[in-house]
Amino acid sequence: MDSDRRKILRFIGKGSVLAAFLGQIGAAGRAFYPNVLYEPPSRFKLKRPNDYPDGYTFVEAHRLFVIRQKEAFHVISAICTHLGCTVQWKDTEFDCPCHGSRFLPDGTVISGPAPRPLDWFATTVSPDGFLEVDSASDVARDFRLLVGKGKA
Amino acid sequence: MGDKIKALWRKTLWAWSPESERESSESIVKNFWLHWFPAKVARASMDWNYSFWLGTASASLLMILTVTGVMLMFYYVPSTERAYGSIKDLEYAVSFGRLLRNQHRWAAEGMVAVVYIHMARVFFTGAYRGTRAINWVVGVILFLATLLLSFTGYLLPWDQLAFWAITVGTSIAKQAPVVGPTIQFILLGGHEIGQQTLLRFYVLHVFFLPVFVLVLFAYHMWRVRKDGGLAAIEGVRHERAMAPKATPKTKSYSLFGITPGTSVQVMSSTGLEESDQVFSSPNMSRRIALVFLVVFNITLLAALLFNAPLEGLANPSVTPNPAKAPWYFVWLQELVASTTVRMGGFTVSGALLGGILLPGFLLAVLSLWPFIDRSSLRTEGRWLAPERRRQNVTFALATLAIIVLIVVGVYLRGPYWRIYWPGQPRPEMPRLY
Repeated sequence: MDSDRRKILRFIGKGSVLAAFLGQIGAAGRAFYPNVLYEPPSRFKLKRPNDYPDGYTFVEAHRLFVIRQKEAFHVISAICTHLGCTVQWKDTEFDCPCHGSRFLPDGTVISGPAPRPLDWFATTVSPDGFLEVDSASDVARDFRLLVGKGKA
Repeated sequence: MGDKIKALWRKTLWAWSPESERESSESIVKNFWLHWFPAKVARASMDWNYSFWLGTASASLLMILTVTGVMLMFYYVPSTERAYGSIKDLEYAVSFGRLLRNQHRWAAEGMVAVVYIHMARVFFTGAYRGTRAINWVVGVILFLATLLLSFTGYLLPWDQLAFWAITVGTSIAKQAPVVGPTIQFILLGGHEIGQQTLLRFYVLHVFFLPVFVLVLFAYHMWRVRKDGGLAAIEGVRHERAMAPKATPKTKSYSLFGITPGTSVQVMSSTGLEESDQVFSSPNMSRRIALVFLVVFNITLLAALLFNAPLEGLANPSVTPNPAKAPWYFVWLQELVASTTVRMGGFTVSGALLGGILLPGFLLAVLSLWPFIDRSSLRTEGRWLAPERRRQNVTFALATLAIIVLIVVGVYLRGPYWRIYWPGQPRPEMPRLY
């Protein structure tokens, strides 16, 4: 039937215009989702192990603490697991200035809103002798990087 | 000569000061700036003690914010390297730049307060019944948009407050179930706060949100007219329904002015008697101008007396101690800080509970209130109707709770977000950032 054919053609015509319109809206939305990021890598080098004194050292540029106990090193993130503020080391515990979370020296939550302990980053010594940290990682709480006197 | 100038003056501006009823009604049709007003408004709608003109005050603040905001745009540079410096320029190098920024800032904080008080007025007068329910919901969205405008606004100076507010704000967004991390990624324009983030919040602040608010504001006003004016007229209507009907008049008013000759009786949309109404011009136009001038002068005075806060340059490594949100968000900060729930090994972060679920629940209840309210329509448009006492007390208590949280957050919280009572010494914190 002639009218049926018209209906179908009209449907295809209007439908394709509408589909193109919706497709463009989708494309515009997708453009908000960046494909290329100009961000620092999650693996980076710190100073040489021997540049850090015993105890807790805050590394401002990377928002983490390097903790040295003689030849054993580990690295704890300074980013509060609650809402991302920088925690501060207060002699015996980490305290957060934004919402009052408190953490033990190993990053376990004492009190406050933080839902989980502070992250521990995998740490190695790079071939050229620097501490190398992977901030995308979270290692077990018994992790220690042993640096012999001769190695560093 | 003087007479000629007078005549010209009159010819241009007669609509603003009509000298007869005929001019009053014609001014609405012939003047662009007046044409969106109805020819006549109910006396009851204009009662200072009914509405306190808070909606007009909110609109005035929006206008002040738009104009001062556009002027600030001439100097502000949305770049992480130059944003802070351009604010400093506005403060120290641009003539009256500091005044403009101050007025923008105080008008913004004033708008948050005034819009909320406007909403409280509508609630306490039960002015959201029937078709006005739509406008109530629109109003709740406008309030939310006002808060978002404030939030995106104080991010722009790229000071410590800005940086850590983005950190906390987008971290809350991340806690949303399923879509959270994607929302955070899109808001930041990456995984970390940077140039992309600042630019995104800038475009949101100077284009998307203002346009959204202006469109919704226009709809808000249009609905007020479609609903027949303020709910205050419902009380008059109830009175009139009981009184014996007056005989219809031969002269009648259409929506746009006097209908010439003896025409068909045109009922005005308010259903009110002629004696209950007055011409919008000049009765309403003058009051609007007065409210605008009062609001403008209050913000100007605040701008002259108090400087808008500006913290140190953003330091992505060190959080200020304590890091406090502006007063209108500090109650949310209290909520996210105190609503983490631990049950056995299972933890629900306060960021989700106090940052998303609880505010979302409050917003939902607020939006749906007109549909929950089952009181009789006689309470409509009446201040503190006894029949709605429980509702009004609920609203007042919720507001009081928020105010208490704000007071605690603003005045009692010290370093590491601990409570310090007045008089209790606070430890000095190194300000090394």
